[in-house]
Amino acid sequence: MNYFFALLIPLIFIVSFIFASFRKVKVYDSFVEGAKKAIPLIVSIFPYLATITMLSTLLEVSGLNALLIEWLSPVFAFFGVPTEIAPLILIKPLSGSGSIAMLSDILEKYGVDSYIARCACVAHGAAETVFYVGAVYFSGLKRKRLTAALCISLFAYLAAVVFGCAFCLIL
Amino acid sequence: MNVLFLTLFLACSGALLILNPEGFLSSLLDGTSKSATLCVALLASYTVWLGLMQVWEDSGVTRGVSRLIKPVTKRLFRTDDEKALKYISMNLSANMLGIGGAATPYGIRAAQALDKTKNAEFSSCMLFVVNATSVQILPTAVIGIRVALGSGNPTDIVLPTLIATAFSTGVGILLTFLFLRDKKRPTCVRHKKEKKGAGTK
Repeated sequence: MNYFFALLIPLIFIVSFIFASFRKVKVYDSFVEGAKKAIPLIVSIFPYLATITMLSTLLEVSGLNALLIEWLSPVFAFFGVPTEIAPLILIKPLSGSGSIAMLSDILEKYGVDSYIARCACVAHGAAETVFYVGAVYFSGLKRKRLTAALCISLFAYLAAVVFGCAFCLIL
Repeated sequence: MNVLFLTLFLACSGALLILNPEGFLSSLLDGTSKSATLCVALLASYTVWLGLMQVWEDSGVTRGVSRLIKPVTKRLFRTDDEKALKYISMNLSANMLGIGGAATPYGIRAAQALDKTKNAEFSSCMLFVVNATSVQILPTAVIGIRVALGSGNPTDIVLPTLIATAFSTGVGILLTFLFLRDKKRPTCVRHKKEKKGAGTK
């Protein structure tokens, strides 16, 4: 299974390049042309990304994040989400690498195949790092409704976590 | 976003002022330096994927995929812009394949293309919601961790995860339609006709 997915990406490249050369595309020139666009893209997203990461570090260092987790734990318990995974749920929208670290922490602490661990995995996969996606995608665009879209995404994510944890019980 | 940023920033700074004033600047710098490292990693991966994207574009793959799923994307994002639809369709396919690296540059370019269209407010919000709640078919990273920690059945979370992520995307799309739809142009069928007339605001 894992081996198959390891093959997927190299195959995508090989097939694309062969197909392109059949269509008489100059693959090298074309690739370079595309690669050229990477630098302006990064330059345009950097300031937004930097500000968001700065804020999320601040959130963590100030202890506000931990406080929030403490407050929200009863709410999670009410919805049937194990409180042990609350920190993961809160960090996931902010930081991808942070949530991966926290996930492996939880898996080690409570056992890989426990109910808590499986809930944690589902919670981790339920959505993307919402704030990061927002910072990257809408860098430079001014949209009044972006905040609303952000709230919708967060709500959908939390709903999916509750739903997913319930599903873990059955399966 | 401005209000959100200011509130969170002031709340955090206030807490730090009492608890640990020396840590303030260092945590700000820590955050930005983390993002600088992240940008270098992103630059490397975007270079590869943007290169491949260009090859796809030149060989007509992009156009083909775009045409294939156009009926869906057109209704979902409410736009007729060829270029934006093309980027959106590639963004969605990359997302589903779990190649996040390829999805992001497409998504950014789709957002930029959408910005110039009429229905931009709604379309770009929908793009954001779909991406933020993205349907990933295979959570490779999580499976990897579980294998490393010696799980008895590392892939048994695939199905619940898939259901949860599909659920979050579904809820997201539904709510976006409910709350962010432009009431002056209610249905996608009438969209074309009304484009000529009531195009203000």
